[in-house]
Amino acid sequence: MQDKNISKDNFEQCLKCNLCTTVCPMMAANPHYPGPKQAGPDGERYRLKDPKFFDLTLKYCLNCKRCEVACPSGVKVGDIIQKARLEFGKQHNPVRDFTLANTDLVGSLAVPFAPIVNPVMAAKPVKALMDTFIGVDSHRTFPKYSSKKFTSWFKSSKAPSQEGFDRYVHYFHGCYVNYNYPQLGKDFVTLMNACGYGVRLLDKERCCGVALMSNGFGAQARRNANTNIGAFRRAGGVVLTSSSTCTFTMRDEYEHVLGIDNSDVRDNILLTTKWLYDKVEKGEIKLAFKKDYHKKITYHTACHMNKMGWAIYSTELLRMIPGVELTVPQQQCCGISGTFGFKKENYPYSQKIGQELFDTLLESAPDVVACDCETCKWQIEMSTGLTVMNPVSILAEALDIEETKRLNRV
Amino acid sequence: MKFDVVIIGGGLAGLTAGVELQKKGLRCAAVAEGLTLNECPREEFIKLGGTLFPGDSVIGGHIVDDGDGKSLEWVETRNLVGTRLEAPYYILSTGKFFSRGLVSNMEGITEPVFGCDVEYAGGPSEWTVQEFFDDQPFEKFGVTTDAESRVKIGGKVIGNLYAAGEILAGRQDIVTTAQKVAEQIIGRKK
Repeated sequence: MQDKNISKDNFEQCLKCNLCTTVCPMMAANPHYPGPKQAGPDGERYRLKDPKFFDLTLKYCLNCKRCEVACPSGVKVGDIIQKARLEFGKQHNPVRDFTLANTDLVGSLAVPFAPIVNPVMAAKPVKALMDTFIGVDSHRTFPKYSSKKFTSWFKSSKAPSQEGFDRYVHYFHGCYVNYNYPQLGKDFVTLMNACGYGVRLLDKERCCGVALMSNGFGAQARRNANTNIGAFRRAGGVVLTSSSTCTFTMRDEYEHVLGIDNSDVRDNILLTTKWLYDKVEKGEIKLAFKKDYHKKITYHTACHMNKMGWAIYSTELLRMIPGVELTVPQQQCCGISGTFGFKKENYPYSQKIGQELFDTLLESAPDVVACDCETCKWQIEMSTGLTVMNPVSILAEALDIEETKRLNRV
Repeated sequence: MKFDVVIIGGGLAGLTAGVELQKKGLRCAAVAEGLTLNECPREEFIKLGGTLFPGDSVIGGHIVDDGDGKSLEWVETRNLVGTRLEAPYYILSTGKFFSRGLVSNMEGITEPVFGCDVEYAGGPSEWTVQEFFDDQPFEKFGVTTDAESRVKIGGKVIGNLYAAGEILAGRQDIVTTAQKVAEQIIGRKK
């Protein structure tokens, strides 16, 4: 009986146990948010009867998916809320939401003018104006734009040498690497090349669409998703990423939230650390690290890493570095949730949610925090003053490149 | 991925055992699934360096017969696609019906991960009694074990798969069964 009468989101399986409520970071910080049970399966029953029951407070959902991780009945609480927001939610601040969500467009426009854009965006009067007129909180530090795109660097300096390898991987760099922080992409290329793999870019790549989804631009998110899935199909093999949220969005949200069938490429979309760990464990790749590398690292598990269950791959790889002293505290939410924490009305909640994590990280007094998510990085760096690095960058930094090349017969 | 002990079901029983084992220096991984009332031991488990896979579940494993009897070689989970969890010892602590450690249908009651032997009597109409507060027969159903708390499949003991907590047949104190299993494993390790 049950197998036949189960909805896609499993919402009728909700037993009202409220376990999701106990793990929801927003619920604890904001009394106006009705919580995952009410916003998700409970509200869904009403919305199915009449869309008028859509509750505007659903905008407070961080889409952290901690509710789904906790749910003992397999209810896709977060997906239900995301879908309801896309279907019924109206944008309240079109200029700001459009600017925050269109990472590709804004990134492409900003990169050529990075030397001007960066100081302007950091200037106090500009921040005050943005706060007043478009509702971007003045306390927020904007990620800096790079003066050269990762793809430009790759095409001019690296692409030819990549064809000399007999094995290769495709790399989905994502917006952050391309417009803000090409160094992570460069570290990825260093790491792959040392392991004996050439790197290729996809013939077409768009933003994964996570910011479009959370800001209510469903149609555009679907276009991006279809472009990316098409590129994955043409690429054929593994496509590696260095951002946990892009990975999670393309593997799970494309299907669950946007309703796009990605089943033929899903297994190929892998976070670099997951792919690398499996290769190392099977003995197909060998890693050698510098003898004099020493670092005290605290690993922060991003919420989407927690949802995918893949934090272990990053932490196990970091543990392989002899000079690393690694601490992995209980998973906590940093509160930024992508573009959410940039918005003026959300900023106080964002910081309140993250406070516990900031305290934990500061208490552990690391040389560096490791994290697979770029928006967690912005939040943690701004709120604690600590430096946050992607595990890929740490691995590239600690790698004894010559020895690793020798071991992998490069 | 290799550990000293893999705990299938990171609830009160699994993590209580995990805490005891971590204290003895055994590296544990706990795959949490189902309703896990584990706030206390979870914090302790992580502090002691235990690895927790929240929201994940074990979907199967490989049982081999090496002549001396059967044993579990590895397990795989839903999230860790392509990565096996391996350990010399395993603990099955997936709870009873609500956490789906046991599954019932019109044909009978089964343990869904490995198909362990389950003790129960009669058909669905005999599993409950009318009066809510009376002893309900289904509460005593569960997997059967040998004297050392190791589960059986088809009457044969799986030499390295221990059961603890609610999943056990009869009604026993959860923490006590977990401590017993931890002691068994620590004893064998010596």
